[in-house]
Amino acid sequence: MNVNIFHTKSSKIGTIALIVGLIGTAVSLFGFKQGWNVSEVRPILSWLIAIGFWLSILVGMLFLIQIWWVFHARWPTIIRRQCEHCIAAFPYLFILFLPLLAIPLFHDNPGLLWKWMSGHNELPGHGTVAEDPLYVWKSPFLNIPFFIARAIAIFAVFIGISTILRKWSFDTDLSGNANNTHWSRRLSSVGIFLCAIGATCASIDWFKSLEYHWFSTMYGVWFFSACIRAALASIIILCVILATKGYLKGILKQSHRYDISCMMLAFTVFWAYISFSQYFLIYSANIPEETFWYNIREKNYDGELNSWWWVSMGLIFGHFLIPFLLLLWYKTKVVIWRTVGISIWILLFHILDLYWNILPGKLVVPDDGAGYLVRQFTFAPYDFTAFIGIGGFCIFAMCRSMQKAEPIPVRDPNILESLNYSE
Amino acid sequence: MSEKYGIIASFPDTPSFFHAAEKVRDAGYKKWDTYSSFPVHGMPEAQGQPRSKVPVFTFIGGITGFFLGLIMVWYMNAFDYPLIIRGQPFFSPVFPFPIMYELTILLAAFGTLGGMFVTNLLPQHYSPLFNSDKFLEVSGDRLVIAIESVDSQYDPIATRLFLEEIGGTDIEEVST
Repeated sequence: MNVNIFHTKSSKIGTIALIVGLIGTAVSLFGFKQGWNVSEVRPILSWLIAIGFWLSILVGMLFLIQIWWVFHARWPTIIRRQCEHCIAAFPYLFILFLPLLAIPLFHDNPGLLWKWMSGHNELPGHGTVAEDPLYVWKSPFLNIPFFIARAIAIFAVFIGISTILRKWSFDTDLSGNANNTHWSRRLSSVGIFLCAIGATCASIDWFKSLEYHWFSTMYGVWFFSACIRAALASIIILCVILATKGYLKGILKQSHRYDISCMMLAFTVFWAYISFSQYFLIYSANIPEETFWYNIREKNYDGELNSWWWVSMGLIFGHFLIPFLLLLWYKTKVVIWRTVGISIWILLFHILDLYWNILPGKLVVPDDGAGYLVRQFTFAPYDFTAFIGIGGFCIFAMCRSMQKAEPIPVRDPNILESLNYSE
Repeated sequence: MSEKYGIIASFPDTPSFFHAAEKVRDAGYKKWDTYSSFPVHGMPEAQGQPRSKVPVFTFIGGITGFFLGLIMVWYMNAFDYPLIIRGQPFFSPVFPFPIMYELTILLAAFGTLGGMFVTNLLPQHYSPLFNSDKFLEVSGDRLVIAIESVDSQYDPIATRLFLEEIGGTDIEEVST
């Protein structure tokens, strides 16, 4: 009976989320179209950042589900089901990603967003993309047909694995068939590799190739750690909402929250480790093709500190040091409002991290040799509408999935251990 | 041998052992402990023990290591024997970071190990409880609660009656 009340509630929330999503995406796509018409890339970057944010949460959850399967983790069984609801949003994200793929296919300047896509695009002090030896070397990988094929393959992996895992998990509720568990473990052990390649290609193609001169072998791992952090923070927020308002009341225990928080601490350190290692190696090697990426995130061409310097400092202290020190503290991991607070904090700085990775770029100054401008840190109105719009679709997909299945996997072989879990 | 170390009582099974510990806690005894050959979940709470102080030692160790690494690299590379490496500054917080980080981990681990010894009062090779043959069976299947005579509420007769009341058997005083 309780579950029925919850189903009506989630269907209401889903309808609201769908309406918000439609309005938000409509406004953002209007901005997208304006940008398309006048070849202004900022509204398109808003769209890319928002896609990146919601995608990172879903990819992180998909990784966590598979890691839990592979390690036969029993305690997160009730949390795994909530993640399974969330990853229902992958097909929606694919559809929302399509406008970005339309740029290389239909725009007059295919390189409007990813500038390597058009050989005629000018580079500061380098002539054009077609004359750039660094592009010529990378062109077997960075070309439009292969890019589009990769984008489709990446989404095929995410959508395929998430759909199959969801199907098997929901089937266990009805049939109690333990083979679903065995097959989920087998699929996950392969799926982790496929998703790792997918997430790496996604971050390289969509974020790193914005400044295609630059390269870093850490980038895929950075995206993975960012995804997991975003996913863990979202899991805490979602589960606490469900525990206070909905069907996880009395089921989600302190020990579940404590363990997720411990993972948040671990991945805070991991994110810092990866981000710093990337900086450290480039700092030590001191090669111009690599250092410029950090230079534009610190200084303008004339050597003045720019807005990105503040954002960089904000990331060091706000995205690492403060959450790290707070999460060391036992109370942060068990007192609900503190755990939720730190999760919201991490999500906000995760957004800032995405801005920092996606937005800065070298802009050509006409008739000025090697000089360039740096695209500065700004919030645009279309950022908000894109975040809310794409988020609306993700929450709609989650609520729709919640009406289809049991709130917790009632016939999963490990459900009792998860319900009775203690630290 | 008139001085007594304390009084011990045995319990037949884990639930009665666990609930007896809660009753000893609620009766207000401070200098007492439970002994079993296996861990009992929730026993620290049943004994009314606060959270471990070991994290404090870990944190102090980590902070010490971090700044030790920083000062060490500054002393060696910028003060005692300045060296130009790759045209980088003599000192910056960036390049000694691996050293700061490693020393943080190393001294945090030492702090944890040392803190564990300090808070557990280790090493302790002897306890007067070994005078009791019944207590030695704790390493087998006996579950024992021992209340020490240094506790302010300790009274040879009243404490014995209290332990009987909460279900203890084989109650005996242990000499020092």
